[in-house]
Amino acid sequence: MSERRLPVYLLLDTSGSMRGEPIQSVNVGLHSMVNALRQDPYALESVHLGLITFDIEAKEIFPLTPLEQIQLPEIKVPNSGPTFLGEALKLLAQRSDLEIIKSTPERKGDWRPLLFIMTDGSPSDLQTFRDMIPEIKKRNFGNIIACAAGPKARNEILKELTNNVVHLDTTDSATFSQFFKWVSESVSIGSSSAGVTEPTHLPPPPPEVQVVI
Amino acid sequence: MAKGKIIKTQTTDGKPIEYVDQIIGSGGMKDVYFSPDRSYVVAFFRDKQDFQAKERLEMIAGRFRENIYNNIGGEYWKNLYCWPTHVVEHDNKIGIVAPTYQKQFFFEFGSKNNDFLGIKEKEKEGKWFASASNQNRFLDPRERGNWQNYLRIGILLSRAVRRLHAAGLAHSDLSYKNVLVNPVTGAACIIDIDGLVVPGKYPPDVVGTPDFIAPEVIMTSHLKKDDPNRKLPSINTDRHALAVLIYMYLLYRHPLRGDKVHDMEPQKDEILSMGEKSLFVEHPTDTSNRIRIANVKPAELPWKDTSKISYTITGPYLTPLFQRAFIDGLLDPSKRPTADEWEVALVKTIDLLQPCQNTSCDQKWYVFDNSIKPKCPFCGTTYKGKLPVLNLYSSRKEGQFRPENHRLMVYTNQSLWEWHTNRNVVPNERLSDKQKKREGYFVLHNNTWYLVNDRMNELMDVTDSNHKKIIPVGSKVELTDGKRILFSRQDGGRLAVVQLVESK
Repeated sequence: MSERRLPVYLLLDTSGSMRGEPIQSVNVGLHSMVNALRQDPYALESVHLGLITFDIEAKEIFPLTPLEQIQLPEIKVPNSGPTFLGEALKLLAQRSDLEIIKSTPERKGDWRPLLFIMTDGSPSDLQTFRDMIPEIKKRNFGNIIACAAGPKARNEILKELTNNVVHLDTTDSATFSQFFKWVSESVSIGSSSAGVTEPTHLPPPPPEVQVVI
Repeated sequence: MAKGKIIKTQTTDGKPIEYVDQIIGSGGMKDVYFSPDRSYVVAFFRDKQDFQAKERLEMIAGRFRENIYNNIGGEYWKNLYCWPTHVVEHDNKIGIVAPTYQKQFFFEFGSKNNDFLGIKEKEKEGKWFASASNQNRFLDPRERGNWQNYLRIGILLSRAVRRLHAAGLAHSDLSYKNVLVNPVTGAACIIDIDGLVVPGKYPPDVVGTPDFIAPEVIMTSHLKKDDPNRKLPSINTDRHALAVLIYMYLLYRHPLRGDKVHDMEPQKDEILSMGEKSLFVEHPTDTSNRIRIANVKPAELPWKDTSKISYTITGPYLTPLFQRAFIDGLLDPSKRPTADEWEVALVKTIDLLQPCQNTSCDQKWYVFDNSIKPKCPFCGTTYKGKLPVLNLYSSRKEGQFRPENHRLMVYTNQSLWEWHTNRNVVPNERLSDKQKKREGYFVLHNNTWYLVNDRMNELMDVTDSNHKKIIPVGSKVELTDGKRILFSRQDGGRLAVVQLVESK
């Protein structure tokens, strides 16, 4: 067999409020995250990254792709618009059903996928968001980490989806670069310790991130 | 890079140290800082360490370090371990001081296509090399080394582990994460020594690295730490990890990761296939965990095709050890080969190597397959020409020589050393400088193979016992089939019987 794949989905908020420095920082952060993961021999063998953005619509920017084949497009933000996180979860559910290889008696499937969500607001489609929560939970993600960025991001709503919510106070480049560094470290640890029987811990978040308890 | 502040503090044994207040790297448990001159690093544990842990670290940096370094061959170990020298306590955090890694353990060229991954100057973590796909798809060919150097890496690792075990210490997390290797020169260095299991002390908090955790540890990991049935890292579990490391460095695949599915849930399947239900992918009779070629990437071939590159290509000394490690001893720790056995078998295997005649062969060397038509298992090239093999015999009683199951392959510029000519000499950390000098060498001249005598005063052709011929220093003896050569009459002196393979 080849190594099991470790699917990692990234859901990024591209609503109007992300315009300007925030989205620039996200683009820079994504690049350095992919570069850092490519320098990790464990991640290179197993991590497959998928990227979904959400504003007035949810879009799959690229499906699960091996690290060395990822070509990051520049992520753009519309002039204004709502934050359809619920739609993004719906798209994620559809895509992951198609993309994730499940085990069969003949063939070993993927590791349980990881999901990282970053938003600077709260879902405009709250009903869809809440409807999707049980659907996402059913899909047995290995870990779901939500990041609430900036003063307007609402931790409590994200807590409905996952216990792992981190809060970034600001949406400037330094904070985002720390955040993406942290995501890549978490993914690295996940890829080198997948299968260890005791639960592995996330690396400590950078100083700018607050973990919401 | 922004300049960090220099922090001055002192070690628990009172030595002043300094470090630049800027993290240069973070591992699973520690954050690492450089000293201002970069000659050493200070690594602080992120989590609070209890009194037990501090005491254990002080023993590792103190007594155990001194016992190894202040003994015969002490200097030798400096290259093989990155051993913590001091314990430090600063800002309520416990840390260790350790030497900086040698320059050769950082990539010089990195990855292919002008280093498209950007790994130049990054550490040569073992995982880059122990994987067919990383080797074939990513590494710059100038970083990949050759098969002989992977055997050397195996020797150094076995030797380093053997020394730890001799001191009663277990590494506890032996894996390619904690081993730096340089296949270009055949060097290796064990790092992360702070996790050592010290006899009589509470074991460290080590989970281990998935590919290397021994089955009994996985099978009992659901039990509480103080449960008497819970198996914790030990010398026995190190032996499992060492066998996996050697297998992976020589064959670029994992010995237990085949295609047998035990559970639909990946986590549960992992626990079963590395624990209770673990099964060697090359088990001779139970073929249910074979690697299915249909399920591998092209870049992983030929390595993942066990029918093409079987573990038996590692030769007659390593093959039985792999069988003991992954068949008999997989679930029975007492049957696993010791580090010492690995070291001896690997050293003998080096003598059984011959260069591949295909100059573009990636591996360059292979183990002689004891056939009259030797063939490189990696590129398929058959050997052409005369190939002398020296079978070594030794004497326990005057005049009576017995075979030692030890052979030396002859090729151009192959050297004869004292550990070939005398059975009392073993190539390891105890060799004296005198013993590191060549005794003789082999050369092909006008289609005839010769042994040239550099410094053997008693070298003698004893083929005809009635006409023994002294071969003086500086002269040579022709290698023909059936020739008997006595290297020395000293205690332990060996005799060689030549076999000549002629492959057309």
